[in-house]
This record gives sequence, C-alpha cells and structure tokens, in this order.
Amino acid sequence: MARDVETFEALPAMGAAFARALVPSRATEARIPGHAVRVDGVAQDLDRFADYARVCGFTLRDAVPATWIHVLTFPLHVALLGDRRSSVRLVGAVHATNTMTMRRSVGVGERLSLEVHADNLRPHARGAMLDLVGRAEVEGETVWEGVSTYLATGMTAPGEAAAVEREPWEPVQPIARWRLPADLGRSYRRVSQDPNLIHTSRVAARAFGFARPIIHGMWTHARALAAVEGRLPEAHRADVAFLKPILLPATVGLAVSPNVEGLRLAVTTKDGAKPHVLMDVGPAR
Amino acid sequence: MHHKVVVVGGNRIPFAKAGGPYARASNHDMLTAALDGLVARAGLAGERLGEVAGGAVLKHPNDFNLTREAVLSSALAPETPACDLQQACATGLETTMYIANKIALGQLTNGIAAGVDSASDAPISVSDPLRRILLQASRARSAKERLAAFAKVRPAHLAPAAPRVAEPRTGLSMGDHQALTTTRWHIDRASQDELAAASHHRLGEAWGRGFFDDLVTPYLGVTRDAVLRPDTSVEKLGTLKPAFGGPDGTMTAGNSTPLSDGAAAVLLASEEWAAEHHLTPWARIVDAEVAAVDHPGGADLLLAPVGATGRLLARQGLTVDDIDLFEIHEAFASTVLATLKAWQDEDYCRALGLDGPIGTIDRDRLNVTGSSLAAGHPFAATGARIVPTLAKLLHERGPGTRGLISVCAAGGQGVVAILEAV
Repeated sequence: MARDVETFEALPAMGAAFARALVPSRATEARIPGHAVRVDGVAQDLDRFADYARVCGFTLRDAVPATWIHVLTFPLHVALLGDRRSSVRLVGAVHATNTMTMRRSVGVGERLSLEVHADNLRPHARGAMLDLVGRAEVEGETVWEGVSTYLATGMTAPGEAAAVEREPWEPVQPIARWRLPADLGRSYRRVSQDPNLIHTSRVAARAFGFARPIIHGMWTHARALAAVEGRLPEAHRADVAFLKPILLPATVGLAVSPNVEGLRLAVTTKDGAKPHVLMDVGPAR
Repeated sequence: MHHKVVVVGGNRIPFAKAGGPYARASNHDMLTAALDGLVARAGLAGERLGEVAGGAVLKHPNDFNLTREAVLSSALAPETPACDLQQACATGLETTMYIANKIALGQLTNGIAAGVDSASDAPISVSDPLRRILLQASRARSAKERLAAFAKVRPAHLAPAAPRVAEPRTGLSMGDHQALTTTRWHIDRASQDELAAASHHRLGEAWGRGFFDDLVTPYLGVTRDAVLRPDTSVEKLGTLKPAFGGPDGTMTAGNSTPLSDGAAAVLLASEEWAAEHHLTPWARIVDAEVAAVDHPGGADLLLAPVGATGRLLARQGLTVDDIDLFEIHEAFASTVLATLKAWQDEDYCRALGLDGPIGTIDRDRLNVTGSSLAAGHPFAATGARIVPTLAKLLHERGPGTRGLISVCAAGGQGVVAILEAV
C-alpha cells in the first residue's frame, strides 16, 4: 500500500511542533500517523556540522557520520509525532533502540531528500512501542536508513506484548574513560537543535523522574561511533540499545570487543559494572 | 643507499587561505583527510604500514602525537606507527627523507611522509606571567595558596598571545628578513610580479589538464586550490601596495605566499613493496641535504638551500645541466629570484665553500606546474606537496629524468633533494 507523503518546503522549525509534542496526550490508546513526511533539497550547514563533529568527537571530514543524518531527520520526527493524527508524544517517549545503515559515504556538500514515517505500532510490557523509519536519498539513491524505536510508556496498543528477552549483562573492563561535563546537554542541544529540556534543565529532568539532566542518547551513540571512526567500512551499520540514561555531569567507561561482524562497544558506568548504551557496528547488510 | 626508494603516490587536500573554507578544520582533521585520500587511492584501507611521519609548524600542545592520532582516525590499520617531526617550512621534505632513509636502510619497506598546517586554527597561548601563575595555582596545596597565586594576576597578563611568524632571535618576520635579501640582491618589483603571475598561470594550466586528479582529494566542498587566481596578470599584481620593506618595498601580498591551511602526504616504498601492491613507481629518491646559514650573523635567512644544492650536486657528480626540472619553494617570489642569482654568483658560491657558481637555469624548467605563490603554503605541508608533484612530472617525462627540490625554512635553514624518474 502506498503511503501518503506530505512534503514540506523546508525542514520544519522545531519550536511550534515541539511545543505541541510537549503537551501531554490524554489518550491512552496509542495512535500513529499513517503518512510520511518528506523534505527535498536539504543543504547541510558546514558550520553546524563542524560544531557537531567537535561536540561528538568526530574528525571533521568530507564524509558525514550516520548519526549526523539522524540529527537532520529529527525535525521530521518531531513534526510526525506532533501531528494531530498522533496520540504518542515525543516528549516523554523513551528512545529505546536505534538502527542506522550508511549505504555509501555521504559528503557534507551533498543535498539530501529526507523522509520519515511511523510504523510497527506494537504492545510492550510497559506501554506501546513504535518505529520512526527514516531514509535519506541523493538524487533518488537511498544513501542512509534509520529506524528509531520509541516506547510510549503507559499507552496501549492492540495485541499481546511479546516477551522481551534481554541478553544477560556481564561486567566489562572499560578501556576508556569519558568525562561528560554538566553543560554537555547544552552543547549538544546547540548542534542537534533538540530542545527537550530534560537534557538541560534540572527542573524538567526532575519532572520526568531524573535527579539531574540526562545526556541525549544520540550524543552517546555519536561519541561511541566517533571512537571507532576509521574502522568502519564505507557501507556500514550501527545498532544501538539505550539501556540506562547518563545523568550529567558524569564519568563513564567505554569497553570495546569484537563481535561476529565488527565491534561491540559498551558505554558503561565508570567501573564497567552496568551498561548505559550498547552499540554493535559492522558492514551494512 | 642500500635499497631503492620510490615515490609511488601522493595526496593532498586543496590548499586555502587562512580564515577561508577550512577555518573550522584542525591540523588533525586536515592531516586525516590527506591520509585517507591517499589510502583510498592506493587501496591501503586496513593495511599496517611501516610508519607515518608527519608534522606541523603551528601546533597545539595537546597535539603532541598529532600524526599518530591522525593515523588512528584514518582507514589505516591501528597497528601503523607514527611520529611527529618538525623542520619549519621544510617539514614535509624532512619527513620524506626520514621515511626514505629508513626504507633505504631496510628498516621499512613502505611509509607515508606528511605535513599539515592551519594558520586559521593556530594556538593562542596565555602570557608568560599568567602561565606561571596558573602553574603555581595548580601546584597549590591549599585554597589560601591558590588564592595567593591568583592575587598576582594583573590585567596586562590577560592579553592572549597569538603565534607570530617571526624569528625569535631577530624579532623580524619572515617577510621582513626576505625584504633585506631582496634589497641586497637587487631583485626588482617587475621580476617578482612576473614570477608570481607565471606561478598562477602554470598551476591553473596544470589543474586544467587534470594533472592533479590523482594528487588531490576535495575537502569540505573545496575542489581546487582556493588561493589560485589563474586570471591574474603582471598588471593586476603591479597595482598592489608593498607589504614588506617599507613604502619603497617591492614585496606585496601578490608576490608573497599567504598564510594558508592544508595538508599533504607522500607514499614511499621499496621497489619490491610497490610491485607487490601494484603501484607504479614515479621516481626514486636519489639524495638530500639539510643546511643552515649564519643566522643571525647577517646571512640571508632564506638562502640556506644554496649551499646544500652545491654540495649535493657535487656529491652526486651532477651539474644543473643534468637536472631536468627544478622545484624552488616560492616562500616569496624574491626568494626564488635571489636563489637563482646566488646560484650564478661565483663569489657567493666560493664563500660557501663550493668550487664555483652552481650555474644558470632555463626558467622553462623551474616550477613548471606553479608553486607556493599560487597553491598557498601551509608551512609543514609544502614539502609533501612538492615531492609527489615533481615525481609525477618526472615520470611523465620518462626514466632517467632528474629533478631538484629546494625548500627554505625558518631559522636560516633549508632542505634540498634530488629525485630521478624510474
């Protein structure tokens, strides 16, 4: 079935849509929009990209990292879930997992078409889960794909929740230590333009049950990807699970080990006892 | 040399004026880009190379392992070792000789020599008194001691110190020094502007015929040297005001190199390694010499390569007539012109201990694809720009053709090398 596509003239400004995304939904039944949102001819801002690379620890190259394209699609996530046809609100939804594939290297000078739709609404023990499925194209060629899976806690979706099998965690020995300053949320907000106050305001963080602001999961993802830049084939894939938020300021550990196809990176507590984020990288499938 | 050392490739990013398109890029970023372009072109992704030697003249203190860090960010295997070297503007040629010598001795079969500089992202340091106060405060064992240290801070201490391209012993900038040489050797304005215009025209032609297609990789949207003005002319250059040497000076922004950003890398190998990797040897490294003049005893700061050139040619049993192509780094147009005059000057050459004048060369054999005036001069990268350029030019002309590189450097130093097509 072909999906309706609403094409924007430009990437939507995040303010208004985000304000709407902030309003708590009174609905308990999760509904997602059936249409896709799209914008063509997106030019990448080199200055903003340079800032992004610095904040996340990437070398400034011609080729952009997969996480940067995710950042470019983020206004479409906000627009889609800020739509009246959505009862799921982005604010409050928990980013649970993320999968991205670079089909080929993308230059910072290339203009992109970005498209996002919601899909795969399903029940979960703690609410309803859904995927935001993104795609970036250059002149009709798909160059990047991303699936961001969110958990709308307390909402319902038809069907039986599948039993979640979480792989058992064995403590690891970190080989790196990252010191995350208290203002890291602000720095990342500037480059990602994600205005969610949970990352910058103690008051907002408390409202969502965190003692202090938490760093964006996508920063941690990007920082981990930057740690292995140069090791990834041109066409590669990164699968990430966000397990436990990192409260700022923080000192965390990084453990790296080989997996079947590439590398497993674990961002953990300083001592390696508990995982914050797990990332598997390898060649694109 | 025991083993033959060949240049099998090179790569650089287009050079650009400081504060231009690479204003946001660091030395690390640019060096990584130059390495990755070379690795991609030579098909070396994931390979463990023998060694990578690189360097920068303007370097941040936390970039102490600049080249190794760039290797780790690159597509090379992380088991590739690296080291940083610095020989001012001759860095890129000195790193070439460092790798070449190790290959010649059989310590390596392959390696990359590189150089990078960013005048845009130059380190700014705090004043010396403030630095001492900060160090004292960091050693303090109590809040009281720390406070006592900070109490010594005076407003004048807070002015940041930008790096200057000045000679520590004389306080004169490179341009000021060259202005003295320009006057001493009677280099007139017209010949400087002619040399500058030729540099732009020749570099423009080389880009036009695709010469740099396998020597340069685009970076951050820049696809061609951003300093290059192929449509410049002696007339246009003649309108510029003097930049060095006072109101009657002949050196302008047009016939002097601008502060630049860029990175360059050279792939060097033994013949066997090149063959195993299906890489075409362009030219072999024949010999090189580093030299210095009496500075600050009054010698011309940028003419140290003259003595090295004479000694190197004599050692190899060659004269300038045996050299097909010359690459004299255009720090300033007048540096090249003074060098050529010095080569012809019997008294000057004899005073250097040479048997006689080095000789006169035909301008058609000099900087045939332009040089630093048109390309720009990111200090440490220039040598690594020239080596692959010359090697490819010699390869085009056929086996046995020879080229000589002369690069002047701060501190009254210089490096000269001879390449021969294989």
